[in-house]
Amino acid sequence: MKVPEKYYDEIFEFAGQWDMPSACGLKTIHKDGKTYIITTELYQENPGTSITYAGGSLIKQICDRKNLDIRNIIYIECNPNTNSKLSFYDEEMFEVTYQVEEGTPTNLTYRQLSKEEIQIIVD
Amino acid sequence: MKLKLIYPRWKKLPGQTTFNLPPHGPVVFAATLPEYVDVSFTDENVEDLNMDEECDVVAISMMLTTQVKRGWAIADAYRAKGIPVMFGGISTMLHAEETLQHADSIFLGEAEGRQEQVFKDLQNGCLKKVYNYMGHQPDIALVGPARRDLYKRELYNHKGVQMVDLFHASRGCRFSCYPCAVSYLGGRCFRPRPIDQTIADLETIDNNRLFIVDNSLAQNKQWEMDLFREMIPLKKKWISHTIEDDPQVLDLAAQAGAWYVYQAVYDTSDYIKERVKRYHDYGIGVEGTILFGLDNQTEDDILRLIDFLLKIDLDLAEFTILAPFPHTKAYDDLMRQGRIFDHDWDHYNAGQVVYKPKHMSPERLQELYEYAWSAFYHDETQEEKMFKLFTNVMLREMEDGTYRPRDRKLANKSFGKDVDRSKSHFNEF
Repeated sequence: MKVPEKYYDEIFEFAGQWDMPSACGLKTIHKDGKTYIITTELYQENPGTSITYAGGSLIKQICDRKNLDIRNIIYIECNPNTNSKLSFYDEEMFEVTYQVEEGTPTNLTYRQLSKEEIQIIVD
Repeated sequence: MKLKLIYPRWKKLPGQTTFNLPPHGPVVFAATLPEYVDVSFTDENVEDLNMDEECDVVAISMMLTTQVKRGWAIADAYRAKGIPVMFGGISTMLHAEETLQHADSIFLGEAEGRQEQVFKDLQNGCLKKVYNYMGHQPDIALVGPARRDLYKRELYNHKGVQMVDLFHASRGCRFSCYPCAVSYLGGRCFRPRPIDQTIADLETIDNNRLFIVDNSLAQNKQWEMDLFREMIPLKKKWISHTIEDDPQVLDLAAQAGAWYVYQAVYDTSDYIKERVKRYHDYGIGVEGTILFGLDNQTEDDILRLIDFLLKIDLDLAEFTILAPFPHTKAYDDLMRQGRIFDHDWDHYNAGQVVYKPKHMSPERLQELYEYAWSAFYHDETQEEKMFKLFTNVMLREMEDGTYRPRDRKLANKSFGKDVDRSKSHFNEF
């Protein structure tokens, strides 16, 4: 279940739950004055916590290391298409919105993006 | 130092055969303790907990999510008496943040080679709130024989028949299955124990019938074959999860004493039908494990699956409803979509719907689950099917001279309690 490289520009290593060494795919897109951060779940290639479970902590770690303003990004979680026979591993993307408390995202909410919305971002 | 080791009870699912197997986690943990620690073990599923028993420290070992609330209540009661409480085990890792609120210390990860330090800290009055070894697995060769001497054997006995002993030959899992948290808990790398140590450990178990609890034996074909080859002289009979679908491996497994396996039945394909047949060709029984509630299942799919099960000659079937345990992809997906409506961990028993299924109401999924149990066991009860499997293993044991007759002294006892002959035997086998 290898995740195709088209989903990311780099592998981003992060501290997961209980500081477990963890990794995700990371793609940054600057478009129309907006910064899109897309994290991709790597499944077997991620030794630790999932990007969803890491949630706000992962967003903070990315923004801290990439010098991004946590309030000025559009954060997207990607479940990549892994060509699995199981539909649970089809491609899905979610825009994650959140509040920022003491520099950390909280109260994360998820909205699944349509194919058209994804196309606009990645094209 | 006196340690009270406790395995909390949980509510068994209604209508299903109740087995109380000797728990594995607590005795594997106990084997890692320093020699000066004197352990007294209580499995609350088979005996009452005596909180007046003197002890210096309490360790609560939890495997299931349905144990955590009871574990926390026990901890609160001991801590109110001023006795420090430590937690460890699988569901401690899955529910670590909540468990911390009820603990003096939680241990995350695998215990081998790490308890000397924990108990040194305890004795020096500097027990840490968290011992975090997540993602840092010890050398698998450090896993030693479990402390099975701690079991009160007569409590794991039904009408004179001793229950199987649990055993593990490996840790970790290279698969990453949708509803499973094993790769989070034990790492995504398969870690087989050295075969000589595994065999030496098996030889110490005074029980001819085992349940090899490894997540899947089908992870490294060569290791699997080597293990089975070395197991043949032991003449043990055993249950396990999936075995590699390969004639050579199945043949060796049968020679090594494979009794029956748990095999996931996830669709109505010829592949599944043939897979079950291939096990049977080698004299290995099959208990189908069927998971309901996945997003790709409609009502019709579930009904078709139930019909299919009745036609493929399964020896037993176990039905479960998807439970979105933390640190699984199922949890991530359902949480993101806001579909989890029940957050009471007591209900995460894989027999109760705690989320909104995609293609039906929660009530309808619950009905289909109940229907599956009743349809599968309509013509032949679970007890009758189990009896056939037992007959099969007894005959094999008689052939190889390992058969032990039931213990007549315990013929009227079931898991430590008197057998009520007036009741249906359905829940008692």
